[in-house]
Amino acid sequence: MSAAQSADSDRQALNELFSVTYEELRRLAGSVRRDDPGATLSPTALVNEAWLKLADSPSVARTSPLHFKRIAARAMRQVLIEAARRRNARKRGGGVLPVTFDDGLQENPASSEDLLALDAILEDLARINPRQAMMVESRFFGGLGVAEIAQLLEVSEATVLRDWRAARAWLARELRGRC
Amino acid sequence: MLDGDRWARIQTLFHQAAEHPAAEWRAYLETACPGDPGLAAEVLELLEEDARASLLDRPLAEVAHELLHPDGAAPIPTEQFGPYRIREMLGEGGMGVVYLAEREDLGSRAAIKILRDAWLSPARRERFASEQRTLAQLNHPAIAQLHDADTLADGTPWFVMEFVEGVPLTAYCRARNTSIQGRLRLLRSVCEAVQHAHRHAVIHRDLKPSNILVKNDGTVKLLDFGIAKQLESLEVPVEQTQTGLRLMTPAYAAPEQITAGRIGTHTDIYSLGVVLYELLAERLPYDLTGRTAAEIESLITEQIPERPSLAARAAGGSSDAAVRAGTVGPAAWADLDVLCLTAMHKDPLRRYRTVDALIRDIDHYLAGEPLEARPDTVGYRVGKFVRRNRGPVFVAATVAAGVIALVVFYTVRLTRARNAAVAEAARTQRIQRFTMSLFQGGEREVGPADSLRVVSLVDRGVQEARTLDGEPVVQAELYHTLGRIYQQLGNLARADTLLQTALDRRRSLFPAGSPEVTGSQVALGLLRVEQARFEEAETIIRNALEESSGALQAGHPAVAEATLALGQVLQARGNYDEAIRVAEEAVRLYTPPGDSVTPELAASLAELAGDHFFAGHYETADSLNQRILGMYRRLYGERHPQIASVLFNLGASQFDRGHYAEAERFHRQGLAVYQSFFGPDHPETAYAMTMLGRALIFQNKFAVGDTLLRKSLAIRERVFGPDNPVVASTLNELGSVAFQQDRLDEAEAAWGRMAEIYKKAYDNKHYLIGIALSNLASVYVKREQYLRAESLYRDVLERYRGMLADDHVNVGITRIKLGRALLRQRRYADAAAESFAGYQILIQQANPGVSFLKAARTDLALAYDSLRQPDRARRFRAELADTIRPAP
Repeated sequence: MSAAQSADSDRQALNELFSVTYEELRRLAGSVRRDDPGATLSPTALVNEAWLKLADSPSVARTSPLHFKRIAARAMRQVLIEAARRRNARKRGGGVLPVTFDDGLQENPASSEDLLALDAILEDLARINPRQAMMVESRFFGGLGVAEIAQLLEVSEATVLRDWRAARAWLARELRGRC
Repeated sequence: MLDGDRWARIQTLFHQAAEHPAAEWRAYLETACPGDPGLAAEVLELLEEDARASLLDRPLAEVAHELLHPDGAAPIPTEQFGPYRIREMLGEGGMGVVYLAEREDLGSRAAIKILRDAWLSPARRERFASEQRTLAQLNHPAIAQLHDADTLADGTPWFVMEFVEGVPLTAYCRARNTSIQGRLRLLRSVCEAVQHAHRHAVIHRDLKPSNILVKNDGTVKLLDFGIAKQLESLEVPVEQTQTGLRLMTPAYAAPEQITAGRIGTHTDIYSLGVVLYELLAERLPYDLTGRTAAEIESLITEQIPERPSLAARAAGGSSDAAVRAGTVGPAAWADLDVLCLTAMHKDPLRRYRTVDALIRDIDHYLAGEPLEARPDTVGYRVGKFVRRNRGPVFVAATVAAGVIALVVFYTVRLTRARNAAVAEAARTQRIQRFTMSLFQGGEREVGPADSLRVVSLVDRGVQEARTLDGEPVVQAELYHTLGRIYQQLGNLARADTLLQTALDRRRSLFPAGSPEVTGSQVALGLLRVEQARFEEAETIIRNALEESSGALQAGHPAVAEATLALGQVLQARGNYDEAIRVAEEAVRLYTPPGDSVTPELAASLAELAGDHFFAGHYETADSLNQRILGMYRRLYGERHPQIASVLFNLGASQFDRGHYAEAERFHRQGLAVYQSFFGPDHPETAYAMTMLGRALIFQNKFAVGDTLLRKSLAIRERVFGPDNPVVASTLNELGSVAFQQDRLDEAEAAWGRMAEIYKKAYDNKHYLIGIALSNLASVYVKREQYLRAESLYRDVLERYRGMLADDHVNVGITRIKLGRALLRQRRYADAAAESFAGYQILIQQANPGVSFLKAARTDLALAYDSLRQPDRARRFRAELADTIRPAP
């Protein structure tokens, strides 16, 4: 197999993996809601479950669990952003309730706007520092731990913590500015 | 907008400033970036943000849950779907969304399924189309029908199917508090639908209650063939089935779905088993909440689920599940356990082979007939030496539910499907597994008392076996197995005929020394032991050992089996020295390389421990049993019946040495294990209660002991029937309590009944009859009816002769008792002779201090006084004083 062919088949595998993951997360998120409205939806649990189910499909078999988690985090983001978009679309015209985060009140529900804003800001961050954007995506959407991210990015855990802290502060400030 | 360089500078400053206290940030930043107040201000903002809470700190769960809340669902499509118009959303899954639709011209309702995000991949479109094709070919009243299919203008595919207005199976049963029978009937309907799918080579792969709806009229509908798989043919389990994208729900997923094994009809059978489990126990077999993928995988592929009967009972005393559990008897629960756990066996080969077989067993259950499936062996139990000997602790033949199941299996299955493949599978797997469970005492979910029912079934089995002339190998195997069952049932004459026939047949089919012939010889030899024909037993088994050693490789399992059997014969004959040597050889043969532990090794060690126990080497027996205990802990964990069996043996050893408090401790531990494993009303628990009760009685804790024994008696009478030897052993203990409390009429009644049971069970020829009569005679001694007692004792000794070694402990005890009856008649010389003979037997076997030895010494001192042999009298008085004096 030539290098070009190999790259091509890898890309294909990745595409397939992505769509499968997306679908699985969609399904799982739906089932949590249907079966048990009070259940918490932990991204880590979802990603693990997705891995469990997909680990043997041909496209996933060649993927390391860590890499899988990384892609699953991306899929999770997609699922949630899609949900947020739909929600936003329905709200439009009904007036949007302003939601603030600066008081740190945990009972304040996150709004679809926040999530869409976060999505957009993450895109911005990805343009200036892809590594940090990926880190945030993995951690926030995929529930990856610091050690896992360090391993994934081949940097030290201290570096991950530093990068995360700065990115978090910047994202939070941007978020405040846009909402 | 930010660029990479500036962002890098911002971060550096951010981290440096963060090292300082908040009050110094501004000053620090002004020095660090002179001439760029914008930069300083930005970093300062970030530092302030760093100290605040942010969306990014929130658990995504919260965010996701909010977003995925029902009113956040996809908008209802406004398009026209053929003649249908969408009314409301019914549900959504990974694949698509299902809507309730109305057919405007007819006013009828239907469900429309739309593929969400069809653009995402061709694989999804293919899968959606596949579900549609699957539904199109299935036409069954319990499967939702496909009506129509098409594609929207934007390419989104959709199809219309029957709208089912119903409730998920489990919710339906819960809401109506449906009876167990009712639940099984509903599951049967589901099975029929699945069977229909299987006949069309369709595997559902995602069976779970939410895909099984029950309508108001009680009819069942199977939905969602979304990940169903079309097999090319049901006969050929295809490997490639698992390469599909596996999207099932883990709670109902079979191990092969988790581990990418072969998917087939057996996969659906597993899921049906899980659904049944949930229906019976009101909970899932495994709690998967909050588990990692690896944990889920190991739970589903490795952990044996709790039996549904226990899970249902554990549901809590007043819950509906527990109340319902109480409406089903223990024998029926045993069947339900077998039914459910066979369906969800981890090994696909050991599940019901077809849904049809599952349906048949449901029908058997509903009709109150024996199942075709059989329980797995829960565990091997040693316990043998505590039981077989030492009269009081005898526990007789096992009548396992497996007996019934096996016989039905043979009579129905084997004769129905006579092809060689089935017969071979039956021969090698079923028979062996069954005999293992039968003889090693694992599962004893005994049917209600009805040994008649069992006997008539075994009889039927024999008749069926006779018709198998064309298959002599299977026939011989059947005779062999049925013979062993008869032995277990106590019908030694029939067992004799069958085992002898099996041996003859095998001798004509297989060479001498072959595993088959050896197996038959061993079985016949062990029957001879039970018939108390010890010499013949020894000849047969020595023969088996010699022939198999000559013909087979050293260390062949058949040789090891014969060696172990020889050890058992020698133990039964009371030839403990040689028994020990032989058992040591068996241990050697069963010792696997390395330091691994096998049940066979533990069993042979248990035999050896038994030999030492009977030889009176209590400490060796104890240390062996401690070793066995360690092995079983490795093999089975802490709360397994095997553990308890060793505890009982350790207790018996303490008991025999008169350490009743120690014995009590071991037996209490054992009882606790049995109670939690078998439940409070199980015959095994009854056995443990008897052991403990006995230890209590010997400490004069009569009230507690008596209560335990009566409980035990009630369980055993109910389970085994009033004439079973097992009942007799409890009667023995109850007789002891009554006797020691001077309730002589009760003692006489208990021991008299005990003797009658043994006479009936063992054709008037067994040393246990002697033990019963010997105890009965004690009543007469106490009533001062010495002649009557004497003649009973002599009868007993006559029975023992030839059956037990002359220096067997039971012979010793009886001679001491006879001595006392003679002493009371003032026949001092005769009394001294008997008491001394008994004394000499016991002194070699057990440690001084046992009550019988004390009695012998007392009587001998008196007798020698009267015979004017003061030296001898003094000797026994001195020994008596030694044993009575409290330990320093």
